[in-house]
Amino acid sequence: MSKKFLEVRGLKKYFEAGRPSFFAKDPRNVHAVDGVDFTLRRSEVIALVGESGCGKSTLALLLMGLENPTAGSIKFEGMDITHLNDGERKSHDLRRKIQMVFQDPYESLNPTQTIEEIVTEPLLVHGMMNTPDRDERVQKAMEDAGLKPADVYLRRYPHELSGGQRQRVVIAAALVLEPELILADEPVSMLDVSIRAEVINLLAELRIKRQIAVIFITHDLGSVGFFADRVAVMYLGRIVEIGSMLEVLENPKHPYTKALISVIPVPNPRLRHERIILQGETPNPINIPSGCRFHPRCPVAIASCALSDPPMLSLNKSHQAACLLLVK
Amino acid sequence: MQTTLQTVERSNPLGVRFLGFWNTFKKSRTGVLGLVMLTVIILVAIFAPLLAPYGRLETVSISDIYKPPSALHLFGTDDAGQDVFSNFVFGARVSLTVGFFAAFISIIIGGTFGLVAGFFGGRWENFIMRFTDIMLVIPDLPLMVVIVALTKPSLLNIIFVIGLLGWTTTARVVRSQTLAVKSRKFVLRARAIGASRGHIISRHILPLVMPILVVQAVLVISLAILNESALSFLGLGDPTTLSWGQMLNYAFGRGAMSAGAWWALVFPGFGIVWVVLGLTLLGQGLEQVLNPRLDTHHLMPSRPVVQNEARAKPVPSQALLEALNLSIHYVNDEGRAPARAVENVSFTLNEGELLGLVGESGCGKTTLMLALLRLLPSAGQIVDGRVYFHGRDLTALSEVEMNEIRWSGISIVFQGAMNALNPVRTVGDQIAEAIIKHIPLYPREGIPARVTELLDLVGIAADQRDHFPHQYSGGMRQRALIAMALACNPQVIIADEPTTALDVMIQAQILELLDLLRKKLGLAIVFVTHDLGIVAEMCDKVLVMYGGVTAEYANVDVIYNDSQHPYTQELLKAFPDLTKPKKKLTSIPGYPPRLDALPAGCRFAPRCPAVFDRCHAEEPSLHQIGNDGHIASCHLIERTR
Repeated sequence: MSKKFLEVRGLKKYFEAGRPSFFAKDPRNVHAVDGVDFTLRRSEVIALVGESGCGKSTLALLLMGLENPTAGSIKFEGMDITHLNDGERKSHDLRRKIQMVFQDPYESLNPTQTIEEIVTEPLLVHGMMNTPDRDERVQKAMEDAGLKPADVYLRRYPHELSGGQRQRVVIAAALVLEPELILADEPVSMLDVSIRAEVINLLAELRIKRQIAVIFITHDLGSVGFFADRVAVMYLGRIVEIGSMLEVLENPKHPYTKALISVIPVPNPRLRHERIILQGETPNPINIPSGCRFHPRCPVAIASCALSDPPMLSLNKSHQAACLLLVK
Repeated sequence: MQTTLQTVERSNPLGVRFLGFWNTFKKSRTGVLGLVMLTVIILVAIFAPLLAPYGRLETVSISDIYKPPSALHLFGTDDAGQDVFSNFVFGARVSLTVGFFAAFISIIIGGTFGLVAGFFGGRWENFIMRFTDIMLVIPDLPLMVVIVALTKPSLLNIIFVIGLLGWTTTARVVRSQTLAVKSRKFVLRARAIGASRGHIISRHILPLVMPILVVQAVLVISLAILNESALSFLGLGDPTTLSWGQMLNYAFGRGAMSAGAWWALVFPGFGIVWVVLGLTLLGQGLEQVLNPRLDTHHLMPSRPVVQNEARAKPVPSQALLEALNLSIHYVNDEGRAPARAVENVSFTLNEGELLGLVGESGCGKTTLMLALLRLLPSAGQIVDGRVYFHGRDLTALSEVEMNEIRWSGISIVFQGAMNALNPVRTVGDQIAEAIIKHIPLYPREGIPARVTELLDLVGIAADQRDHFPHQYSGGMRQRALIAMALACNPQVIIADEPTTALDVMIQAQILELLDLLRKKLGLAIVFVTHDLGIVAEMCDKVLVMYGGVTAEYANVDVIYNDSQHPYTQELLKAFPDLTKPKKKLTSIPGYPPRLDALPAGCRFAPRCPAVFDRCHAEEPSLHQIGNDGHIASCHLIERTR
């Protein structure tokens, strides 16, 4: 397929934060997403990594059409879907093709619904309750999500399941519509480490079995491991480094990426190493620092970093980073 | 367990839901009492013609005015020579009819307004809620009086007037519940799959608003009955019917007081009190069922320590903190077997040492830590073992003595920094309070300097002392909690998953801080976590717990490079290691056991990849491996030797 599966260009989302004072002329803006570009191929897995406040969750809501972008474009299978409204999204089948898995499996299931009601709800919404293959679909989605045998779970309520099982229910409810793209927003961060592997392996399996592309949003590069093909590192609303997982992990170019990778705990006390711990926290996205937005926290910043915003530099075909120190 | 699941699956889920509801409701004595009271009066109203010895408004005899209660007239007679008991019974019909119908109108209006305002927000909400506020400010009763006086005082009019004026509180309650439900993630998930507004309201909002609406309805009914009585008492009732309010009105207006005919006043009054009390009790019971968290809180005292005196008192070592054969159970009042949350766990902690406590959720980690400080919830009980701090047995101390140890000897940093801080007081204030509470004689003038010093120690600038917790970021709040834990110079800090909800970079900052404090102040730290990476980076010793027992206890290097317990090995296999790109992660199948339904034999046997026959039959004992204090509880260790 020559058409790009998902193409995001210059995507921006500003939220109004209210006027700083009654007399101020213009309201302040929160620059949640501030110029994001990336593409995704069919059945590709990309990890979107960054700290809270870097705009990764807003980006997911923009892609889902649950927020309207301020600028930029989103193309899905060659079609511009940037400004489609709810009805148009539904009629173009986007609400079926793109599904989302949320962070908190305790919050994202309605406690008064049975698992059966939860998993069949998408079919009800899409008017597919009376199709002859309905039961088969539900069965297949549940078993593909690792809820085997499906009928053991159907009559139960979310509170009767463990965290890992609940996240499987959320995934089953996404699979029942046979999506092409799943946006997973921190799908394992609320789960015990022993269960995280289970959910990640499940997503990896689905991508092979059903050719589903996955955008895996996380603050912890370690939790994605090598499941992702590519990784995009976000800082204050923008992607600062993007490249193949292996390359970025072994040879990070942006100082922010280097720091993020250095703080991933290594489960071996013999490999205790120097960590690059950035001080402070992500600045408030109302006042974006001048020049390179990372320079106030950057351990290797030079004077010119405060002056010019570094462009995205291609280091090779599959690796780009935006840092002035790379321009030489 | 398997069989109970099967039966639940086969029966009707609605039936199950109701049965579950009834079983919880049964426990609320007030609720059941209220329900009984209400049922009695409803039955009286329904079977009024059978119960009443005389007809409705039937005059027995003109000469029998204000006759006291007797066998002939149980409640006496009134001013018109009518039987008070018969009027009381028929009056119940009128009062209850007005109450139920008026409440029905109120609930429909209030429910709709609240739902629309909460769900759609914006202009709708503004308009509806301002209108509600205005209606709420106008005193109901005078307005009702005016309206009823202007219209014909028929029963229907009264129902409508009470109904149309009684919806305001319902609208507010429903709106706030709708707002709360609307912001939950499952509503966003429904939107993401393309659900329409109607679908979201009927499938997601209504089922969660309904319980509150039911409680509200019960209260609105009682209000409506009170309002009707008040109107009737003021002489604005329907003259063709006789409600309890009207009975009061007639008796009062026609000299029952001066005639000493208390029965004409007391019995209708009793009816009103009976119904309103019944409804209030019922409402309270319902609220307890629908909001079960009202029941338990952190202020309940915990149970006394029980010591197994048969066991010889163990001799403490020189360690700073030592737990010896500690066992903790959660007991319950329903006669079920207690949950054996922790069993026979021992560890030692020396000065400046960092012990990692690892295990999945529900393995008894937090219970063990709370037991050290004797802060267990009320159902928790230390049933065996000792805790030595500086050689003193903490399990034998009185509550007062224990209070001296808490915070100034051993302090604790909880997970979830937002919940552990009081949102309406500044951070500096809360730290100062921690100092004063534990060192009452601390010189008052020295406190501000001490607070600044503590904040500086954890990397918070002094000018942020007077900020409120919500002005702090997650990482800052965690730092503030650490400052609070340091307030009384403890020697031991228990950190219960202090970084679980934080970003990796902030987590690294907090870990660095704890390590720094340990070196600077010589603190010993117990670090509770399920993240093996953190443990490998920081700890000296590791205690791996599974299902409430020690799986393995050893130096950090042994745990990661020479672990003997299959659980430790499986945990390590599940943890992502970016230094090994080819390694496939494997998860441990299944889940930790429920502590009140533990398997026979080894608690890990059902999930263990190396399980053999003996594991299902016999609980493994703690095996000593080498001389380095390495302990593991697994039958395999005997086999390999």
